[in-house]
Amino acid sequence: MQDYKTEHPFDIAMSEEQQMTWDMLRKFAETEMRPIARDAEAAGRPSDELLGKMKNLDLISLGIPEAYGGMEIAQDATSQALALEALAYGDLSLAMSLSLPMLTAKIITEHGSEEQKNELLKQYSDGSMFHVGLGINNSSIMGNASHSSVSVDESGEELMLNGTKTGIAFAEEATSFLISATSESGESNLYVLDKDTEGLEITSKEFMGLKGLPLSEINLSNCKIKTSQKLGGHNYSINFQELLDSSRIGMSAMALGVCQAVLDYVVPYTNERVAFDEPISNRQSVAFLVADMAIEIEAMRLMVYKAAALKDIGADFHKQASLTHRFAAHHGMKIGTDGVQLLGGHGFTHEHPVELWYRNLRAIGIFEAGAGV
Amino acid sequence: MIHPLLPNQLQKTQETMRMAAEFILRPISRKYDKAEHEPPVEMEQLNQAAAAQKETGMGDDSVKSMDLKGRNLWAVISLEQMCWGDVGLFLARPGTGLGNAAISAVGNPDQKNKWGKRWASMAITEPGAGSDSKNISTAAVLDGDEWVINGEKIYVTDGDRCDCVVVWATLNKAMGKTAIRSFIVEKGTPGFSVARLEKKLGIRASDTATLIFDNCRIPRENLLGGKEEVEMDADAAKKSFGGAMQTFDNTRPMVAGMAIGLGQAALDMTRALLAEEGYEDNFGASMGQQTAIQYELEMLEAELEAARLLVYKSAWMMDNKMPNSKEASMGKAKAGRIGNRISLKCVEICSMQGFSEDHLLEKFSRDSKILDIFEGTQQIQQLIVARQVLNKSSADLK
Repeated sequence: MQDYKTEHPFDIAMSEEQQMTWDMLRKFAETEMRPIARDAEAAGRPSDELLGKMKNLDLISLGIPEAYGGMEIAQDATSQALALEALAYGDLSLAMSLSLPMLTAKIITEHGSEEQKNELLKQYSDGSMFHVGLGINNSSIMGNASHSSVSVDESGEELMLNGTKTGIAFAEEATSFLISATSESGESNLYVLDKDTEGLEITSKEFMGLKGLPLSEINLSNCKIKTSQKLGGHNYSINFQELLDSSRIGMSAMALGVCQAVLDYVVPYTNERVAFDEPISNRQSVAFLVADMAIEIEAMRLMVYKAAALKDIGADFHKQASLTHRFAAHHGMKIGTDGVQLLGGHGFTHEHPVELWYRNLRAIGIFEAGAGV
Repeated sequence: MIHPLLPNQLQKTQETMRMAAEFILRPISRKYDKAEHEPPVEMEQLNQAAAAQKETGMGDDSVKSMDLKGRNLWAVISLEQMCWGDVGLFLARPGTGLGNAAISAVGNPDQKNKWGKRWASMAITEPGAGSDSKNISTAAVLDGDEWVINGEKIYVTDGDRCDCVVVWATLNKAMGKTAIRSFIVEKGTPGFSVARLEKKLGIRASDTATLIFDNCRIPRENLLGGKEEVEMDADAAKKSFGGAMQTFDNTRPMVAGMAIGLGQAALDMTRALLAEEGYEDNFGASMGQQTAIQYELEMLEAELEAARLLVYKSAWMMDNKMPNSKEASMGKAKAGRIGNRISLKCVEICSMQGFSEDHLLEKFSRDSKILDIFEGTQQIQQLIVARQVLNKSSADLK
C-alpha cells in the first residue's frame, strides 16, 4: 500500500495563490501563445516579442537564490506542475521555450558548484534564457534515459567525452551545454561544456513536432574538459534518476495542458458540426470518444498532482512519477489522435490546431527533461 | 492545498481492512465460489471485526449500507480493501444491502427507525428493463390503505437472504419516469416470493435472486419518499426521479472502489506468482530495458492508480458536499473497465497458472466483469459523462 506518511487530509483544491498564478498563466497561454503557435512553427522558433514577454513572467529567476541575482522564492512541485500545465495549454513548443530554461536554472541551482552557479545563474538573472543548452535526450534507440549515449572517460587528468546527444533546444544561442554522460561504472552525471570545446559539433535537426522550438544534435568527439566541469564539482554525484523523475512529472503536466486544449477544442466543434441533420456529438460513437477523453484527462491531472504532492512531502516519488509519465505518454497519444479523428478530414489540415497537438503530444514519453518540478 | 494523498489515519483503516480481507475473506474465497448459493456463515466474523473498529472510533458498521454521513472517502478505502479480499463475499456480508442506501437517502424518520437496521436489498431491474430503469413495468396501485404490487424483478443482490427489499414500481407506466416510486416490501409478505437464484460467471458467494410480486399487499406507509400521486408539474416530476437516480451518485464511487480493490488484488497476486520465478519490477525504464511483463504491469498499475484517484476524488467531493455526478461516473467508467482489463491481463501474464483454479486470478477475472455492468454499465457511465461534458440533454444524446 502506501509508503509515505502525512497528517494532512486528502485534498484536491488549489490554494488561492496557486489559483491566481494558474489563472494568470492560463490567460497568457491563451492570448499570447496560442495565436502565434503556427507562426512559431513556420519560423522554427518563438518570436523575440514573445520571448520578451515570457522573460517578464519572472518564472526563471523565481527559484534562483538572491546571491545570484534571483528572487529566491521556493516553489513546491505541485505549484510548478500547475504552472507548466497552464503554459502548455497555449502551445507545447512555446511553453517548452520557457520550461527548459526554468528547468536548467533549477538543475544548476540544486547541483551546481559555487563557481558554476556564479557563472551560469547570474546570466539567467541578467535576462539570458538560452545560454545553457540542456542535453539529456539520447540518440540511441535501445538505450535508456539514465544511461547516456555520451560516455565519459574519467581515467585521465582531464575528462574525455564521446557520443551524440539530440533534441537540444536553442543550441545555436547557447554558450555552454549541460550534457549528461555515463562513466564506465555506469554512473550518469551532468557536465558543463563550453560551446567552443574542441570536438563539439552542432547540427540542426527537424522533428515531427515541437517545431516552434529550434532543436539540434550535438556530437562529441574526444572532447576534453577539466574535472571541475562536472556539475557540482569533480567529486559530486548527481541523483540522476531523481532528476529524470522530476522532469517526467513536469513533462506529464505539460501533456495535461495540451490534452486539455484538445478537449476544449473538440467539444464546441462536435457540438456545432452537423452531419445527417444533427450535431455529430448527438451520436454515441462521437460522444463517447469525447467522454473518454475527459475521463483520461481528469485521471492524468490527478496522477500529476499526486506525483508532485509526493515530492513535496519528501516521499519517494520514483514509482509515481514513472506511472504518471507512462500514463501521460499513452493517453496523450490517444487524445492527440482522437482529437484529429473527431474533426475528420478537417483535423488533418492546418486549418485547425488538432494536427499540431497530435504531433506535439507524440513527444510525451520520448522527450526527456523538457520541463521539471 | 493539492494533496491527493491518504492521511495516516486513513492508512490505518486501510491496514485494518486489509487484514480482515486477508485473514477472513481470502481463506474462504474459493469455498464459496464453488458452493454457489450457500450462505457464507463466516461473514458474521467480519461484522464483528467492523463492530470492533467502530468501538475504536474509526469504524462504521454500515460500510455496505453507504450511510456514511460525510465519510465517503473512508468508505471507499474500506471497501476497496474488503474487495481486495473477495468481492462476492463482501457483497454477501449479512446485514446491509443496497436497499439500505436508498432507505438512508430518502426514507422518513419512521422508515429509517423501522428498517434502517434491517438487511435491505434493492430491486430495480426487470426482464424487459435494465439500464433504462424508467421503463420498468412492475406496478403499484393504491387500494384503500394498502399498495398492491405486481411484477417480476431480476438480478436482486441479497434478494434471497435479505430481511426486506426496496422495490421500484410505477404508479402509471404511461406516465414514464415521473410515475416511478420505491416501496419497502418485507420478506414473508403474502404474494412476494423468491422464484429462483441465478447461476453466475462470478461473485458466486453473493445471491442474485428473481423476485415475484403477485398481488402483494403492503401498508400505505411503505412508500419510500415521493408523493402518492403522479406529479403533473414537469419540474417536480423531474426532481422526483432525479432524486432516485442521485442515489447512484453516492453508490457509484463505492462500486468503483470495489473494482479498484479487485484490480490491486490481481496485480498483487500476479507479482507474487512471478516473484517465485524471479520477477522484479522495473518502473520507469525504457522499452528496450523492460521485459514485456514489466512493461505490461507498469501500464496496468498506472491505469489502476489513475482509476483509484478518480474514485477517491468523487468520494472526496461527496464528503465536501460538491455535486459529483460527472466525477462519480468518470470513476465508475474507468475503474469498471480497468478492473476487468487488469484481471484478464493478469490471467494472460500468468499463463496456465493464471487460468488454473489453483490460484484466484481466474476467479478475479470472472468476478470483475460484473463491476463494469451493475450500478450502471460502462456505456451508461460514458453516456452520463458525455452528456455533461458536451452539455447535452438525454433527448439529444440518446
